[in-house]
Amino acid sequence: MKHFSTVFNYELKTQLTKKAGIVTMVIMMILALLGTSVPRIIALFETGRGDESVVAADSVDAKAAYVLPNEDIKALLAPVTGPNPRLMDSREDLVAALQAGSIEVGFVVTPDLGYEAIYQDRSMYDTRDTAFQSALTTLKKAQLITSHGLTMEDFNAIEGTEAQGQTTILGKNSGTTYFLTFILMMMVYMIVLMYGATVSSIIAREKDSRTMEILITSTRPSALILGKVAAAGVAAVIQFGLVVLAAVIGFQLNKSTYPPEIAMMVSGTLTTGYLLTFLFFSFFGFILYLFLYAALGSTVSKMEDLGSATGLVQFLFIFGYVMASIAAQTPTSTLAVVASIIPFSAIMVMPMRAGVITVPWGQLILAGALMLVFVAFFAYLSIKIYRWGSLNYGNKTRLTRIVKEALRRENR
Amino acid sequence: MKLDVLDIRKSFGDKEILHGISFSVVSGRAMGFLGRNGAGKSTTIRCLMDVFRQDSGQFLLDGQPFRPWEKRIGYLPEERGMYQKNDVLGQLVYFAMLRGADRASALKTAHYWIDYFGLSDFKKKKLETLSKGNQQKIQIAQSFLNEPEILILDEPFSGLDPVNAQVFKDTIADFVKEGRLVIFSSHQMSYVEEVCDDVTLIHEGNILLTGDLKQIKREEGQDKLQLSLAEGDLDALKDQLQAAFPQLHITRRNGSLILDTRGQDLQAQLMAWLAEKEVRLHSFGLYEPSLTDIFIRKVGEQA
Repeated sequence: MKHFSTVFNYELKTQLTKKAGIVTMVIMMILALLGTSVPRIIALFETGRGDESVVAADSVDAKAAYVLPNEDIKALLAPVTGPNPRLMDSREDLVAALQAGSIEVGFVVTPDLGYEAIYQDRSMYDTRDTAFQSALTTLKKAQLITSHGLTMEDFNAIEGTEAQGQTTILGKNSGTTYFLTFILMMMVYMIVLMYGATVSSIIAREKDSRTMEILITSTRPSALILGKVAAAGVAAVIQFGLVVLAAVIGFQLNKSTYPPEIAMMVSGTLTTGYLLTFLFFSFFGFILYLFLYAALGSTVSKMEDLGSATGLVQFLFIFGYVMASIAAQTPTSTLAVVASIIPFSAIMVMPMRAGVITVPWGQLILAGALMLVFVAFFAYLSIKIYRWGSLNYGNKTRLTRIVKEALRRENR
Repeated sequence: MKLDVLDIRKSFGDKEILHGISFSVVSGRAMGFLGRNGAGKSTTIRCLMDVFRQDSGQFLLDGQPFRPWEKRIGYLPEERGMYQKNDVLGQLVYFAMLRGADRASALKTAHYWIDYFGLSDFKKKKLETLSKGNQQKIQIAQSFLNEPEILILDEPFSGLDPVNAQVFKDTIADFVKEGRLVIFSSHQMSYVEEVCDDVTLIHEGNILLTGDLKQIKREEGQDKLQLSLAEGDLDALKDQLQAAFPQLHITRRNGSLILDTRGQDLQAQLMAWLAEKEVRLHSFGLYEPSLTDIFIRKVGEQA
């Protein structure tokens, strides 16, 4: 592997100094900082809003009007409508006021505490009708409790009665680990798609620009492919490492504003075992996909054909993503177990399963061994296809034929 | 050094492109590898550079199997291409290092050749910002990196303007003087004639002739005389000569007559006849065919 380091250094420098890459990383770092500062930002807004809610509780909704059947109901509804609600004589008057725009919502209440809420237009976040229903339900319950000779206190005591007990989780509580596991899976998803596309386009561009012939007559294809893939891998680690660093800094700066559940969630998810599983399968799965992208980049003659050529590997990867989503819900199902062992999907499914359950050692070892075998085989295959690709321009060839020809040829 | 190309055969699919190519190249002499488009020049060179693997035959360097990656080779492919989006100096250093130079030597050789071609102001520029002619020079510069022992250049003159072609010819001549092994393909006979000591003609995957250019010219011109007129009708003279010397084979070429004596010593008789007829001559002497003439005749024999 005489020139591996030469290829690696050149490709890494080229990737790290690309303006577009730098701008993307800076934006992602800012987003990571902002994302981890969300609890502080929310806390700032909630502090201001606290005073407003007190005022709102005592005030009457000026944009609501009511049609009430009698004074008793009016008195009964006073805690909901306020002591002096805006009253109307009939449903027609209410509709007219709505259409005129003088009110936003109207309520027609029946003697048995039924109601109709009428809007002209209802915004997505308007909950006045459900709040009104809730208030009427409470009043109706109170009427029923009283009619059975009980007090509200009796009722609350009965309703508050519950069996005493506790839950002991020996393995993992997916309720708390799912969220962070999902975020890490999304990060892997982004890294593979971004850097896979980078590797395939670097190789396709070399072929398109006819630089490939100079390269393969200067050094061995193995040094070229391994150097390029390693450079993309290290570039990903450096660039996404900076994003993670920004997130960690943001978390540390805003730690005090995080609810205790979040800290519990982080410590509950990021156990040593999970981190090792995540790093192993994500890293080697990433490398596996880089080899696939590199091989497919070698099969096209023109840059514009790259999208269709890499479609297959994208399909494989998205299949893995779907399997990981299924595994999050049913981590012990046969489908999830099989998907966590097949290397193409194991990259995301195994860390997802390891995040939400304790994966048996046998499955981990089998999946890990298979992953290493696949990485080695596809590294070999991508070198052969790269060599094949350097000689083949023009006609599109079926992938099965490419693989057959690439493996048949006696490459140096 | 002596590079022997021995009985190389290469097929693509069912079609054989090279039908047993053999020739030799020695260091200190430039070899011109000539042929029409599609004759098999680039395929031969790609087999030599191990871009393609030949079906049979072998390449030997001083009697040992030739492995291009074990030697310092300057290679200019027919299909030119380098990194358009990368800076000129950086990629030349990269190519030099891929061919075995350490960083310091790679920098030195890259600077030298960029300066040599007068492109010092463009070292840090992206290749795509250079004019086509200057890009061509950078392509050639990459093949000269690292003091190559062997230069293999596929159609090096294509796309070069006359000034740059002259610079390139001078550089090749220097390499040859320094005792390096130089082989380049071309279909531009005049350039080859100026630069090469040896030539190999390839036509439809077969070698038509190979050897010392001067020797070939001598052999091709043997028993032939060339005559041109200062004044008079060339066709009428041809008819008169044919009548007077029926053993002559006379052809007209580029405003002159080529007289093939077919091994007979007719020079004195011819001069006497021309003097007697008071033919106003522009020139009369031994015929030395151009490479183009030789090529056309050889290809014609194959048709």
